[in-house]
Amino acid sequence: MSPSLANRLTIGFAIAFAVLTGLAVIGVARFLQQRQDFEDATARSYQREIQARNRLVRGERPLAARATIVAQQDQRQVLRDEISSQTRDTALLVGAGLIAGLTGAALLFSGLIASMRRPLEDLVEASGKLAGGDLEARVRIGGLSETATLGGAFNEMAEELQRRAGERDQLDRMRDEFVLTASHELRSPLTSVQGFAELLMLEREKLTAKQTETVEVILDNSRHLVRLLNDLLDLARSDAGRLAIKRVPTEPAALIEEAARTMRAQLDTRGQLLSLEIEPDLPFVEADRDRIRQVLVNLLTNAHEYCPPEATVRVRATHRDSAVEIDVIDNGPGIPQQQMEHIFERFMRGDAGLTQRVGGTGLGLAISKSLIELHGGTIDAEPTPGGGATFRLRLPTGTVPDQETSRAGAEAS
Amino acid sequence: MARILVADDSETILLLVRTRLEMEGHEVETAADGQEVLDALRRDPGNPPDILLLDAMMPRKSGMDALRELRAEGVVVPALIVSAHTDGDGDSGADAELGIDGYITKPIDFERLFRRIAELT
Repeated sequence: MSPSLANRLTIGFAIAFAVLTGLAVIGVARFLQQRQDFEDATARSYQREIQARNRLVRGERPLAARATIVAQQDQRQVLRDEISSQTRDTALLVGAGLIAGLTGAALLFSGLIASMRRPLEDLVEASGKLAGGDLEARVRIGGLSETATLGGAFNEMAEELQRRAGERDQLDRMRDEFVLTASHELRSPLTSVQGFAELLMLEREKLTAKQTETVEVILDNSRHLVRLLNDLLDLARSDAGRLAIKRVPTEPAALIEEAARTMRAQLDTRGQLLSLEIEPDLPFVEADRDRIRQVLVNLLTNAHEYCPPEATVRVRATHRDSAVEIDVIDNGPGIPQQQMEHIFERFMRGDAGLTQRVGGTGLGLAISKSLIELHGGTIDAEPTPGGGATFRLRLPTGTVPDQETSRAGAEAS
Repeated sequence: MARILVADDSETILLLVRTRLEMEGHEVETAADGQEVLDALRRDPGNPPDILLLDAMMPRKSGMDALRELRAEGVVVPALIVSAHTDGDGDSGADAELGIDGYITKPIDFERLFRRIAELT
């Protein structure tokens, strides 16, 4: 059992009080005693002098009487000198005692304060570490019982936090594992549904118009399911830090043109135009071609789905501040201000009225953001002047942290 | 046209793949797992199929395991792996070692599969 601060303070106060009171009592007693002795001696001296004066008046041995009177006067002078020096000594003694006692008390209390400072400093440091996310932070338990109890409580709290963080990590892993397995298991039946629907479409000349329409609905929905599965898988991988990218030096213009080629037919179905404004001689970027194309296709798909027929979607690429900026600009309905800050969140989609018609999964932008950030870039949205939405992605040029680093970083998190 | 040995543990998928491949004019044999693939090739070693189309994950013996044993026995038939994973190409070192000529992701994009088969024959 550690000594308690309260006990030590009580004992310290008691000792200091006793020492100081004792000194004061001894000092006062000594002073009174000396005073009493002085008065007794002085009184005796006066008595002898009076007796001598009486003898002188009676004329008995006048010479001896005179000598006694002088001697007693001298004697009293000596007594007066003595008492004053004794009083000074007592005062000095008591003063020295008081100083010694106070010094002792001061030393005692500063010792107590010092013995608390160390554990408290440890506690402050460990709290800082814990708050900063270092769940291994603990304090050494020792010293006074109060700080030891506090330290013990702190360590228990840290232990609990670490245990919960561990449980949460395990739950996250189980969830990721579940998503990966579910996505895997769902693919086989989906392959059959989509495959047989495609088989029917190969013989569409034998189908009635109503049947063709039915098969198209099946196909649309199975493709939508596949997109959802792919997106969920990407998100699960991203959460697990396993969304890896393979970067190679890439010409931005070629990437944009590929994405445009992929999207043109789809845009054509609604009479929408795609205009590319690519600055000549853009520097190369270190990019995973498939993944950046996925992001561009996602942005173009959004523009296609949210814009009215006949609209023009513009893609503008420029070189600015050691980054290639690619803007996907539309003049559609735009993004309401209150939704702007949430659009990169999962399952966040535009105006609910539109989503009936729009076929996205609500995951595209969240995945795009993860992918662009893996490239060391940024993606933002802002209103297009005059109406519509502009998505801007910035990919750094030149040397960027290589893929091993970004992957290791993701795994560590 | 090619003779193709298709292995998948799902009968529906075997039926689908067989139908599509036969519509393209290919000759199709089927196997329900890796062991059946091995049995089929060992039964008639002098007359192997032109292409193996193996599901990566099957009970008893997976497509990967079957391929590993076949390569060890010196069978050099081109092989395509059907996988539910969307990772695209796997570990390139293992691909070279096992002689994997490509991956087909589920759901199967048949146009892409036909192109790969045409390239391999």
